[in-house]
Amino acid sequence: MRTISTEKILEVRDLTISFNTYAGKLQAVRGVSFDLHKGETLAIVGESGSGKSVTNKALMGILPRTARIEKGQAFYKGRDLLSMTEKEWEKVRGSEIAMIFQDPLSSLNPVTRVGKQIAEIFILKHKLPRKEAKRRAIELMDAVGIPDPEKRYNQYPFQFSGGMRQRIVIAIALASDPEILICDEPTTALDVTIQAQILKIIDRLQKEKQLSVIFITHDLGVVAHMADRVAVMYAGKIVEYGTAEDIFYNPQHPYTWGLLSSMPDMETEEGEELYVIQGSPPNMLYPPKGDAFAERNPYALNIDFKEEPPMFKVSDTHYAATWLLHPKAPKIERPAALQRRIEKSLKRAKGV
Amino acid sequence: MGKYVAQRLIAAAFAFIIIVALIFFVLFSMPGNIVSDPTIKETVRKAIEEKYHLNEPLPVQFAYFIRNYMNLDFGTSLFVRPGVAVFDVFKERIGVTIQLNLFSALFTLPVGMFFGITMALKKDSIYDIIASSLVVFFISVPGFVMAAALQYFLAYKLGWFPIVLAPEVKLNWTKFHSMILPIFALSFGSIASIARLLRAELAEALTSEYMLLAKAKGLTFRQRVVRHALRNACVPLASTFLYLFIGVLSSSLVIENIFGVPGLSKVLVSSINAKDHQLTLGITYFYVLIGLLMSIAADLSYGIVDPRIRMGGRKDE
Repeated sequence: MRTISTEKILEVRDLTISFNTYAGKLQAVRGVSFDLHKGETLAIVGESGSGKSVTNKALMGILPRTARIEKGQAFYKGRDLLSMTEKEWEKVRGSEIAMIFQDPLSSLNPVTRVGKQIAEIFILKHKLPRKEAKRRAIELMDAVGIPDPEKRYNQYPFQFSGGMRQRIVIAIALASDPEILICDEPTTALDVTIQAQILKIIDRLQKEKQLSVIFITHDLGVVAHMADRVAVMYAGKIVEYGTAEDIFYNPQHPYTWGLLSSMPDMETEEGEELYVIQGSPPNMLYPPKGDAFAERNPYALNIDFKEEPPMFKVSDTHYAATWLLHPKAPKIERPAALQRRIEKSLKRAKGV
Repeated sequence: MGKYVAQRLIAAAFAFIIIVALIFFVLFSMPGNIVSDPTIKETVRKAIEEKYHLNEPLPVQFAYFIRNYMNLDFGTSLFVRPGVAVFDVFKERIGVTIQLNLFSALFTLPVGMFFGITMALKKDSIYDIIASSLVVFFISVPGFVMAAALQYFLAYKLGWFPIVLAPEVKLNWTKFHSMILPIFALSFGSIASIARLLRAELAEALTSEYMLLAKAKGLTFRQRVVRHALRNACVPLASTFLYLFIGVLSSSLVIENIFGVPGLSKVLVSSINAKDHQLTLGITYFYVLIGLLMSIAADLSYGIVDPRIRMGGRKDE
């Protein structure tokens, strides 16, 4: 693992976002706080609908019209991003904070040449002459591993495969040399062999350009590869937050236990049943009183149904929101299967 | 592409031949003909019947007819403009018809696009709701009703425009002024159709993923709409516009009569009433030909506007 710089580049505080729907107010993000350090990769993990994408759309200023930021701040270079006007956003988007989207198949304009979609950033935003813009675009295409970029420059997205299109999306994100790169499940739509290539490219570019990366995913395997620190989200809240080692080797929240137990690994034996988190996430139109995970939590205490747990500090880098960490809580051990797995992988990590 | 065009042209040629035959037989099967007038002398009637093969069975007449057309002999008008070649009547009348339809097309496209774009950008606003209702209204009201209504209110009641087309041959202000109402009557339906199509297409484009990416690139709203959303929204516009133009041509048939425009349709209608079959056929076939060519152009326009269709099958991966 890399050593993490402690210089904070982004500080998100108490971010709360709701959606106005016909059925009522849907509380998508409920008081999320985290820091992004310079040059690190922060993974935000959670199942569909946990609010991870919405959180990051807010940090790009691209929330849909129905969304409303109820409260919270996001400080970037001393400025609160969330109170910026559209005019100010236009200077930040792309240039300071960039984003790689989930579905490369639909995120490129189908009727515009691929090269032009990269070059227009240089022309429109950096006011470079056409020739220079084209040269820079071809350079970028080369940097993200597109073979024969001069020829590819004049092609349309439908002439590219999914992995190649995602490389173009990455090239677009990097065109303006951003400080922060948000990757919103960038490999979900791709097949596994291509996934690894794309992750490698992101990893290499991050090191070259000293990027700070927020990596949204539900794939813990990807997290293990990429992340320096991990935030686990559930029902619009961060339930556990720590370094990758903290989360993988010393998980505290029952939801994190569930996630880790449900992930197959190399040691999973034939016939061994993977753990399944029972039930489904709560309806965020009516968030439950108490801990949102309590209904599905086999270790839930009485208080979990009455009051929301605060963030308990496990170590200087590690926090978790579960009443199990309260001094008066009964001592509950991690599930035995998970514990075995953790010990095995710890041994492997040390042994090699 | 070349192969596709050839295929379409051959198919259109077949369609043309079938339509030509159909119209010919329908027209000549109608009771009565140019010499059924009882006041005509028997000898004269015989002579005319002889000259135009009117006593022969229909298929034989059709063969004569085809032979003449092959020799670029389109026949002579017998009643509406006695003795004048059909082609000359056509040449003389087509000018004003084309003028009218062209003006209508030039008016339709920008106005329709303007409303479509503004409605999509202000989707679900009061403006959009009112405009959408008007769009439904103008699409449903037939052109000739619109023409009569415009004529009654704007020309007769308010006196803003002349009731019929000015007789000037040259295009001057008086002439143009009198052309405004027919142009309106011809255009309103198509404007509404274009506005509706563009509103739907653009609204969809605005919420697409590539617009989100364009926003994430840091492009301004105007740049995003013009460079990305509009480009995509206009893909189906070209073909729709060409099809609409066929509709404008045919509704122009009725509207020319309402506003007394001395164009092709006036001659066409009188030739049908007078059973001046040669003239009817000549003009009808012209409209059929235009319609077929337009529909080919509409199909080809997809390929010109949309690279995915233009290069269909040529995938380099």
